[in-house]
Amino acid sequence: MLDALVSKFKTWEFVLLVLVVSMLLAASALVPGFTRPFSISTGIATFAPAALMALPLALLVIVRDIDISVASIAGLSSVAAGLAIQAGQPVWAVVTFALVTGLLCGAVNGFFVAVLGLPALLVTLGTLALFRGLCYVLLGGTPISPLPDFFTALGTDNIPGFVVPWAIVPFVVLAVVFGVVLHRSTVGRRIYAIGGNPETARYSGIHVARIRFLLFVVSGVVSALAGMINMGITSQVAPDGALGLELDVITVVFLAGVSVLGGKGRITGVVLASILILALRKSLQLLNVSGYTQGIAVGGVLIASLLVTNLSRQFFESRRERRPDPSVDAVHV
Amino acid sequence: MKKSVTTVAIGAAALMAFQLSGCASSSDSNSASDSDSGNCVSGPIKIGLIPKLGTDPYMVTVKNAVEAAAAKDGSTVIYTSPSDATGAAQIPFVNQLISQGVNVIAISGSDLNSTSAALAKAKQAGIKVISWDSDVAPESRGFFLNQADTALIGDQMLTSLYNMIGGEGEFAILSSTQTAVNQNAWIASIKDKLAKDPKYAKMKLVTVAYGEEKADVNAQKAQELVQAYPQLKGIIVPAGIGLPAAAEALSQSGDLGRIKLSGLGPVTLVNQYIKTGNVQDVWWNVQNLGTLTFATAQQYAQCKIEPKQGTSYDVDGLGKFTVGENGTVLLGQPTIVTPENEKDFPF
Repeated sequence: MLDALVSKFKTWEFVLLVLVVSMLLAASALVPGFTRPFSISTGIATFAPAALMALPLALLVIVRDIDISVASIAGLSSVAAGLAIQAGQPVWAVVTFALVTGLLCGAVNGFFVAVLGLPALLVTLGTLALFRGLCYVLLGGTPISPLPDFFTALGTDNIPGFVVPWAIVPFVVLAVVFGVVLHRSTVGRRIYAIGGNPETARYSGIHVARIRFLLFVVSGVVSALAGMINMGITSQVAPDGALGLELDVITVVFLAGVSVLGGKGRITGVVLASILILALRKSLQLLNVSGYTQGIAVGGVLIASLLVTNLSRQFFESRRERRPDPSVDAVHV
Repeated sequence: MKKSVTTVAIGAAALMAFQLSGCASSSDSNSASDSDSGNCVSGPIKIGLIPKLGTDPYMVTVKNAVEAAAAKDGSTVIYTSPSDATGAAQIPFVNQLISQGVNVIAISGSDLNSTSAALAKAKQAGIKVISWDSDVAPESRGFFLNQADTALIGDQMLTSLYNMIGGEGEFAILSSTQTAVNQNAWIASIKDKLAKDPKYAKMKLVTVAYGEEKADVNAQKAQELVQAYPQLKGIIVPAGIGLPAAAEALSQSGDLGRIKLSGLGPVTLVNQYIKTGNVQDVWWNVQNLGTLTFATAQQYAQCKIEPKQGTSYDVDGLGKFTVGENGTVLLGQPTIVTPENEKDFPF
């Protein structure tokens, strides 16, 4: 009982929870206007696309891959949506067209990484530039607006009677879905197995390449969804849609405790890390901190979380070596 | 498994607490926005300034002028600082200013539409919205404070060169890129003037070259023009990067003086050449844009003026302004900067 409790204190999710609670309390007390419903709902809506894209990215990092092209996929998918709007298509067709575009982008990444075996970081750095370039080529310099009411409502309206914006609903729903898949299903166990040791996973009969490919496709589709929320927020389709969002997305994933070395990380962590970065951004915003300094802060958090998760791993591993009895330490692994 | 369920539960509880604390304070924030909405401010105002980029020297010059004007009656200026010149990057700053309960949001739009939903929320909260330097969608704002009428800029550059070369001889244009919208409009109006106005009958445009918005290309093209056209007496360089680059290149080759330059760009970049009398610059007083912005914001917040065509109002030190179409207020005619008035332009 006591061991279980002690082990809980040692999980990164618990540390995050403490950080989130203290951050929210401190911000409520110290940042004027932080607890205003308007600040809360706009803060959540603005952050929703980044939080959403962090969910599939966490899975990719767990299998030792990464997708830094997510914001460009979001941009390209919204350009596709915009072209469909221009062609006078109904909303369902616009949404489908955007999601299919995201799926294809993800498949391109997946093909090069999972099928051809090229390094994910470099492939998606390439597609980051490629997909963004396509945005400008396809759309030119003139943004498309106005958008159908569906999109503006998705990006800017609250659920009637709540402080919660529609924009965060896809994240909440998908967080539950991703949580169940990752922590309760066979696929989830396979994902951890691949991250833990790809070779072993392959010899145990797991279709490693297929799962990695699918994760890139899922990342593409979810990025498309984020792209549509973002176009709602900005009331237009522009070639620079969602530009630069990958910093927040990647920071959330690593702050969540997902390890660069693979095999480690939980959806709970992603949710908590999202709240933390959201609260940090909103607090800095309300304190009239410049965009440049916000960049420094978020970049700093990214480096710090890499450092802390890495150091704590080394710390725990060295302790394990000193203590031969595995039953004591096995709990927190 | 159990561990994760507990953590989720605690996480959810934390979220709820966050929401509850939001609800608890909703009453006071409502009353705050009630007192703002529709009410006219008497006395000092609280104005939020959103530039395209926080560190852009042009924007900072405007900010300083707004702050100087605001200091006179103790008004508050919140200068925000987006780090990307995109409309999307301006949205959190609009939301921030709404939360902070400013009376006026004055924005230089990075694009037309991105901020429109956020600015609509500002309007709902009783905040007056004006744009300066670069417009947002007209339905999102009241006034648009336009620094210069683009049609006049081309005419002024031609007049300036006319004065320097004595009204006759060959000249060239060194533009930015072939697709540059503003530059092409100015070139078209220059060609139009040359064809129709007998005053310019003795001036001949020999060619239009392009400096591609790069200093080295501009320098090279300027020298090529001088060599290709031995009779050349002047070059119009309607681009902020091109004018100083061309002046520098021709000054080094010793051609500046025989060749006169006119163009457009921040005065501080070319004032050393303006002083020689061989270069003139068409520009406007950027500080005045800040002064006009604050005065308009103040009188708008105090309900003294409305963005209706024909409305006129006084601005301390600048005189009388009249609202044109779509709530647009023009800062004035762009000025030809010469050695005599060069000191009046701090930007």
